[in-house]
Amino acid sequence: MALIPWRGRTMPAATLSSLRDEMNDLLNRFWSNTNEPFGLAEWTPALDVSESDDAVLVHAEIPGIDPKEIEISVVGDTLTLRGEKKDETEQKGRNYHRVERRYGAFTRSLALPASVDPDKVEATARQGVLAIRLPKREEAKARRIEIKGA
Amino acid sequence: MKDPIDVAVERPREPRETPESYFVPATDVYETAEELTLVAEMPGVRPEGLTVTVEDNVLVIHGKPEGRDEPAGDLLLKEFEVGEFYRAFQLPADYDTEKIGAGIRQGVLTLRLPKSDRLKPRRIEVKVE
Repeated sequence: MALIPWRGRTMPAATLSSLRDEMNDLLNRFWSNTNEPFGLAEWTPALDVSESDDAVLVHAEIPGIDPKEIEISVVGDTLTLRGEKKDETEQKGRNYHRVERRYGAFTRSLALPASVDPDKVEATARQGVLAIRLPKREEAKARRIEIKGA
Repeated sequence: MKDPIDVAVERPREPRETPESYFVPATDVYETAEELTLVAEMPGVRPEGLTVTVEDNVLVIHGKPEGRDEPAGDLLLKEFEVGEFYRAFQLPADYDTEKIGAGIRQGVLTLRLPKSDRLKPRRIEVKVE
């Protein structure tokens, strides 16, 4: 006889919510693809986010944006990037053959996976790649718990 | 007769040495009376990592981004990957390839190709008799 694992009463709800999460992820991934050829979504910078024991690291692609014009703020556990990618060059007399670059104002907020110290956040921009390092607060840092022997 | 510029942008040709995997940079191409300009997004590429070559009227742009401090830890979100940028354009013969100007700033490459005199528009006087 096959054993059917019992998952308790919350099972249907849990399944539904994970399905909803999956759908949301799918839609988010679809709309956040900055390489989409059609111009439905505004341009937003692509992000890579990683977490180590003592910090959260965010990389953003910002080709052609003056780093001084990017506003980075941390409120609570939310990181927000704000800025605008603009084409400031003289447009007169131009005959375009190909327009693949995209422009626009953007705001991107990100829920941070750990509590960080806003005073210690460091941001550097090099060659159109922005790197933000957000050190975690002491209490949020990973600690190894020793197991005491009997 | 086909517009030579259209040939330039519509027929990217497979080059001889292609990197194994690469990204095609988003590129704007526009023309003025004086020159043809290409603006390509190559975030992470320094001037040292960039090669622009013209051979048999094929313009090739190839950028290797600088390595970045790989984050030790868990990746939580990945929306872009770091890799080489590569693209080739077929040019009409009438560009002065000796005079191509290239500059890369904030991860954006700008190439200016001055037109040879033959390609510049000329105003034809209409004589009134």
